[in-house]
Amino acid sequence: MGSRYLARKIFQAILTIAFIVLLNFVLFRMMPGSPDRVLARNLPEAARAELRSRWGLDKPLIPDQLVAYVAATARGDLGASFKFNGRTVVEVLSERIWPTIILFGLGELIAIVVGLSLGAYSGWRRGGPIDYVGNGFSLVLYSMPYFVIGMILLLVFATGLGWFPTSGMFSLGHRFDSFPEQVADFAWHLFLPLMTVAIGLIGQYSILMRSSIIDTLTEDYVTTARAKGLTDGRILRSHALPNARLPAVTLIAINLGYVIAGAITVEVVFNWPGIGTLTVIALNARDYPMLQGIFLLLSISVVLANFAADLVYGYLDPRVRT
Amino acid sequence: MTLADRSPAAIRGRRQWPLPKQADPDAPLLVVEDLRVHFTLESGSVKAVDGVSFTLHDGEALGIAGESGCGKTTTALSLIRLLPSNAKVMGGSVRLFGIDLVPKSENALRRYRWREISLVFQGAMNALNPVQRIGDQIAEPLVTRLGQSQADATRRAGELLELVGIPRQRARAYPHELSGGMRQRAMIAMALACDPAIVIGDEPTTALDVMVQAQILELLERLREELGLSLILITHDLSVIAETCDRVLIMYAGRVAEEGPVSEVFSRPRHPYTQKLLGAFPNIHADRRTLEVIPGAPPDLRTPPPGCRFHPRCPLVLPICSEEVPPEVTFDGVRVACHLYDPASDGTPVPVPSIAIGIDAPITPDDGSGPPEPPAPTFAEAVAEELAASTPAHMPMLDHTLSPERPPGEDR
Amino acid sequence: MTSAPLSAGDLRAERIRLRLRGWVDFARRFARRRDGVAGVVVLLFFTLLALFPTVLVGPLQTATTAPGLPLEPPSLEFPLGTDDLGRSMLNLVVHGARISMVIGLLATVVTVLLGAVIGIASGYLGGRTDTVLMRITDFFLVLPTFVLALILAPIILDLIGSEGVIFGIPSTLVVIVVVIGVTSWASTARIIRSQALSVKERMFVARARVIGGSGAHIMWRHIMPNVLNLIVANTVLVFAGAILTETTLSFIGLGDPLLPSWGVILNSAQTSGAPGLGAWWYFVPPSVCIVLVVLAFTLVGGALDDVLNPRMRARR
Repeated sequence: MGSRYLARKIFQAILTIAFIVLLNFVLFRMMPGSPDRVLARNLPEAARAELRSRWGLDKPLIPDQLVAYVAATARGDLGASFKFNGRTVVEVLSERIWPTIILFGLGELIAIVVGLSLGAYSGWRRGGPIDYVGNGFSLVLYSMPYFVIGMILLLVFATGLGWFPTSGMFSLGHRFDSFPEQVADFAWHLFLPLMTVAIGLIGQYSILMRSSIIDTLTEDYVTTARAKGLTDGRILRSHALPNARLPAVTLIAINLGYVIAGAITVEVVFNWPGIGTLTVIALNARDYPMLQGIFLLLSISVVLANFAADLVYGYLDPRVRT
Repeated sequence: MTLADRSPAAIRGRRQWPLPKQADPDAPLLVVEDLRVHFTLESGSVKAVDGVSFTLHDGEALGIAGESGCGKTTTALSLIRLLPSNAKVMGGSVRLFGIDLVPKSENALRRYRWREISLVFQGAMNALNPVQRIGDQIAEPLVTRLGQSQADATRRAGELLELVGIPRQRARAYPHELSGGMRQRAMIAMALACDPAIVIGDEPTTALDVMVQAQILELLERLREELGLSLILITHDLSVIAETCDRVLIMYAGRVAEEGPVSEVFSRPRHPYTQKLLGAFPNIHADRRTLEVIPGAPPDLRTPPPGCRFHPRCPLVLPICSEEVPPEVTFDGVRVACHLYDPASDGTPVPVPSIAIGIDAPITPDDGSGPPEPPAPTFAEAVAEELAASTPAHMPMLDHTLSPERPPGEDR
Repeated sequence: MTSAPLSAGDLRAERIRLRLRGWVDFARRFARRRDGVAGVVVLLFFTLLALFPTVLVGPLQTATTAPGLPLEPPSLEFPLGTDDLGRSMLNLVVHGARISMVIGLLATVVTVLLGAVIGIASGYLGGRTDTVLMRITDFFLVLPTFVLALILAPIILDLIGSEGVIFGIPSTLVVIVVVIGVTSWASTARIIRSQALSVKERMFVARARVIGGSGAHIMWRHIMPNVLNLIVANTVLVFAGAILTETTLSFIGLGDPLLPSWGVILNSAQTSGAPGLGAWWYFVPPSVCIVLVVLAFTLVGGALDDVLNPRMRARR
């Protein structure tokens, strides 16, 4: 891959992250609703002044507070949570991040494999009854907020049929005799929220891939491939898919920001102890350091994911590698 | 190449791969009879190709010419059934080595694609897969269709590239890294990969500038000589056909208007449409003169005119033209479908009156002053002069084409 | 061909006639798209609900005026059952239509206005302004805007105070509208900018400048009408997105419980444990409404885009 392409993308990512850190700072310090006003509203002025100096809020915003903030962030110090009794933000985040990564990561993986395949097949065999039904179904899913999908699944499979638990990540108060048993319990709890995320994403990805394949099939090189006497399977694999998946990669990357919204709500529906439920807790408690930390974490994750997608795209499409 | 080397037996003997099992060694290379292809649109059925017949012999180059939409591309694509899903071959036969391809199933037909008949498209930018290296694209049919190993196929791809004048190291390049002319050469190399009997070129030079066009034509000429290649060239550019082809087929609105040797058809055109077509072609020899324009437009093929499809625009139309489809009549090896030419007649061409529309006519006062201008030679006459002067036919404007001694790697 | 010169009145009449014909032509072409027409029908239905909720189901029920028992399944008296406070779900859902649509509409207005201003300014002014504006736009495109909205909302709410009222609109509503607008304008800005750029290249802008129009005048009279086509198709899709975003934000708890949009209803459903209790009537009706409305907007937006901006598709 061209080193200029790589360098350009790295630079853009770093620049964006820098702006995110800056934005984070602006949001919480420059807003008149600054921490000391909000938190210590009820304290007498003397105590508030004490707090202010302790938190360094009496120093000028720029450059002192800004530099201090950036330095602290770079060190990995994101402050202490208000809600969680003085535990550091980083501590709480690292506790909560793995459930979210597993739920979200697995969900994306399943959706990419299944969604893109469905969409490719549907676009290839265009016009059959399967295509119309599948496309209509995907369109409806596309319009459904993720938490709606979650609630319905919960109602049908957990409450109604009783096949799955209704909330949480592990059965409460349960003592596990072995690790496999723990994993099984985890998987049992994971299933419904995972299906929710996957189904929501599959709706989007299949529509995307379907229209991409349809566009690709009108291209001249597909006619050339047919003229070469290649089998349909080979044309799809070697000629159509390698080109059709390019816009898919781009759109998956663009989509990531929106999927986060969905993931948060899915966690709420199933009471899955990840970043999503943490966000709601922090919101309700106005735990600003925690909210700041979440914003930073999620934004940087999206930037990194976009960067990864750029790398993948550069690998797949030789035309951008100049 | 001697005449003996160009006999069907000799050409077929030089093939890398044996003839198809069902082939008849005595049959001509390609015989198309009464081919009909219809497109189904929601607004009706388009009779795009309606009774086209022609023959192609080993080592021959046939040019198919006509206006846009006359069905020439559809005819060529339908030979190996490369039509879009709403098109269907409704009748007729396509006999390759005597084997009729029309009734064959898709799977059975696949065997003939690329191995016997291959294709070179116009605008090779889009005709090549943009994310695959051109060497791999050339090698692909060798591996999948002929079962060669990847190593052998890669080596053969390199040889083919050298054959068309591209250094073999360029096999690692992607299509977007090549110039337009090189891409077209790569497409030609790809078309030759399986040593096909026929190569169809669909407007192969249209998207290229004149200098590159000349190079490509010269390449095709060389390949024909060295390999005994049989060619079907589809184009609306008559100068290309004059340069490269032995025979020409003039199509109009899905039917054959005229067909015969290039020298004969271009110097003594018979069908009124052919005459108008040749007259509409700018002639660099002549002084600045007005362009012939054929008034009207090609018919809507959902409801084609009855009888001869050209009759609404024909300057010599007869009453019978709107009633009966003109039968095909042959004189001196030229086939014409026009009521002006009775089977019983001797086939003398009936000249069509010239209708000049003054696009750049000089503004002359209408009082008859000034000397009368001598009539400029028509394109047809000019070609006839050239043919009389030398062989093979050579377009004067292309005199400064590159000589064969130029190193092949250099491309424009 | 000579004729008497046309009067100003004749010219105006001719212009009106042409515009009418344009409208009729558009309507005819749009009517051919069955999906777009279906979408319009659905939207009309919900607009009706939104305009006359009190006429249809009576005033919005509150905790104190709740007529039924909590979480009753659907019956003749309560066709859609009751919520956890005993209010009729039918009543809530119909009133929710108005609230959701109004919030969506206001948020769309803010988004499109912001996007249009930035897009047109950026496209027309060009140069450094364009570069700076586009950098900012790209930044907003990469950012997970939902998370930003999530964080902004409580900040602004605490600023204003959740009891406040601005221009007669409750502050929670204003906050949601502003927050959606401020975070969603980026893609609209990009689309409009690209259109403004292409229009700028066209001849008549140069001609207008020759005649002496000022910069703002040129932007308004000449660039806007052509950009309008694109804005319309895009606006419909923005509306769908705004409704989805508002629903999600309310579901998380940022909505106003006194103004129960569909999202707020769903939040109540979740917090009262309706799915776990099997009370499907609590969350299925508002969900169905949301899906129908978003789907309808998507279909209409797609059909509009096709009709207003036809693209040649190679048919092979």
